[in-house]
Amino acid sequence: MTSIHFRALTGKVITSNGIPSTGERGMDDREIVIDVRGLVRKYHSTTGVLHQKRRETVAVDHIDLQVRRGELFGLLGPNGAGKTTTIKVLTTLLLPTEGSVQVLGYDAVKQPMEVRKRIGLILGGERGLYYRITARQNLRYFADIYGVPIAIRDKRIEEVLARVDLLDKADVRVEDYSRGMKQRLHIAKGIVHDPELVFMDEPTIGLDPEAARDTRAMTKELVGEGKTILLTTHYMYEADELCDRVGVIARGRILALDTPSGLKALVKDTSVIEVEGFGLTEMDVESLRALEGVRTVAANMGEDKQTMRVQVEDPGGMLPRVAHILEDRKVIGMKVKEPTLEDAYLWLVREDA
Amino acid sequence: MPRLRAATASFRHQASMFLAEPQWLIPNIIAPFVLAMVVLMLYREPSPEAVLYAVLGGGMMGMWGNTLYASGYSIQSDRWWGTVDAIFSAPSPLIWIIGGRTVWNAFIGIVNGLFVLVAAMLIFRTPLEVANFPMFLLAFVLTLLSLAALGMLFSAAFVLTRSAQVLTNGLEFPIYVGTGSMFPIFLLPYWTHPLSLSLAPTWGIDAIRYSALAGYAQGFRIGYWGDMLAMAALSLLYLVISIWLFKAVDRRARRTADLMRY
Repeated sequence: MTSIHFRALTGKVITSNGIPSTGERGMDDREIVIDVRGLVRKYHSTTGVLHQKRRETVAVDHIDLQVRRGELFGLLGPNGAGKTTTIKVLTTLLLPTEGSVQVLGYDAVKQPMEVRKRIGLILGGERGLYYRITARQNLRYFADIYGVPIAIRDKRIEEVLARVDLLDKADVRVEDYSRGMKQRLHIAKGIVHDPELVFMDEPTIGLDPEAARDTRAMTKELVGEGKTILLTTHYMYEADELCDRVGVIARGRILALDTPSGLKALVKDTSVIEVEGFGLTEMDVESLRALEGVRTVAANMGEDKQTMRVQVEDPGGMLPRVAHILEDRKVIGMKVKEPTLEDAYLWLVREDA
Repeated sequence: MPRLRAATASFRHQASMFLAEPQWLIPNIIAPFVLAMVVLMLYREPSPEAVLYAVLGGGMMGMWGNTLYASGYSIQSDRWWGTVDAIFSAPSPLIWIIGGRTVWNAFIGIVNGLFVLVAAMLIFRTPLEVANFPMFLLAFVLTLLSLAALGMLFSAAFVLTRSAQVLTNGLEFPIYVGTGSMFPIFLLPYWTHPLSLSLAPTWGIDAIRYSALAGYAQGFRIGYWGDMLAMAALSLLYLVISIWLFKAVDRRARRTADLMRY
């Protein structure tokens, strides 16, 4: 086992080289534009009518996070990890239960309007636009309520429409747009007021590969212009390709915070046995997980074909044992590969669980 | 004037959304018109004064129904569209955004009210004989604004609830009756009078009737200007409460995360 990497075990976020980090390691002296200290966010709900029971859910649990100007920072985590809650606190949509949140030098709790003027929010998914009206009408409305000076509003709308390649469809109702076009309009909506800091919450979710690639290209362009971006995503290759630094979050806590290559180095002592086959089952996954020497197993249980990624420290010794467990299955390929960011992520998240 | 701009943009946006959805004709024009017709049918061989009384009431019903309906939906529809995050995280206070939308709703209410008025007059062949037209127009417009103020008050309450639809349906008829749109409020039990008198449009409707009907004697006996003063005072009170409520709603929405749920 390599050095311990978990806040859960040590109380501190530890990076690949074992140095405790609060997020600043390896960062330059650029201005800090997001400064989160000790952020806690709890939700309360009640059940029952006569005998009401109050339930408390801790969505974000003592997060520390600093992002510098011009950085593209990724927040990775499983569903319910606290990514969206963190973004909602940073964008002033939610108040923190505890902790301090400074965005672009303003207190997100006490000065929400100052923060809102300077940030953009880009959501993924089908919703978030007015479908019955055109893209231009959507952008005009958001430009107005986000305070784009009236003298430059229409020119600015033309520019962002051209930028997201929707100029020729600007006067078409959004309901007639494809999913990819809607996502491009989401981006246009989020940057129409030229924000310094952009929050992107799973912007490529549900997109086809080409549309996702376009979205990633636009994200890179925004960073190239000096904008700071905080991105949440489920796609590891996306984080690997785009992000300067990545925070892995699970159960409301940041488990690791480093560059993508730094996170990959967390699993540098391991290899991955990738197995492809037919008729592989969840029981096989559990059997492999139970093997001594296996760190974690990720599986994609497709209806026709199944794929497993088995993380091990000694691939030579483990290959025959993995093959033995799957000897009654139709295995069409078994290869030893270098670990990816996804392997590092899965290891971090699974070990924490 | 960024706040005023947010209000005017929201007014224009509401207009675009309204015109893009023709089904709004049903709750906004057709339903109030049918209701006004039903009320008129209840009068058998009515005098011209009675028809005018009922027609004005019908117009007001349309205006009120529109204001209430649209106020309830002004944020609820953003929940459905998924745009509520973007609206709430805009650097424009929510009250100005809702305010702009509510004024559009009240404006459509004018169109609605006039449509019912003219159609009913044509059907019942009642000549449009308004006793004092300038005073009628003034009372009409100010009553409309009082409706918008009442709509703002309801909007603030509706922002936090996902049951706005139920509330709007539940409030529609009590307000028709309570404001005296359907029949004079003195026909109602005494215990309902404080509720009726606390509604600014009640006074507005009375002022409209003072200006429209020569020799109108069924009102509150404080005269046209007394009605107008009471209406203005109550509308102002609604606005003050709305501002306070919107601030409270903003704080509560950020604390409880209720706003984004749908």
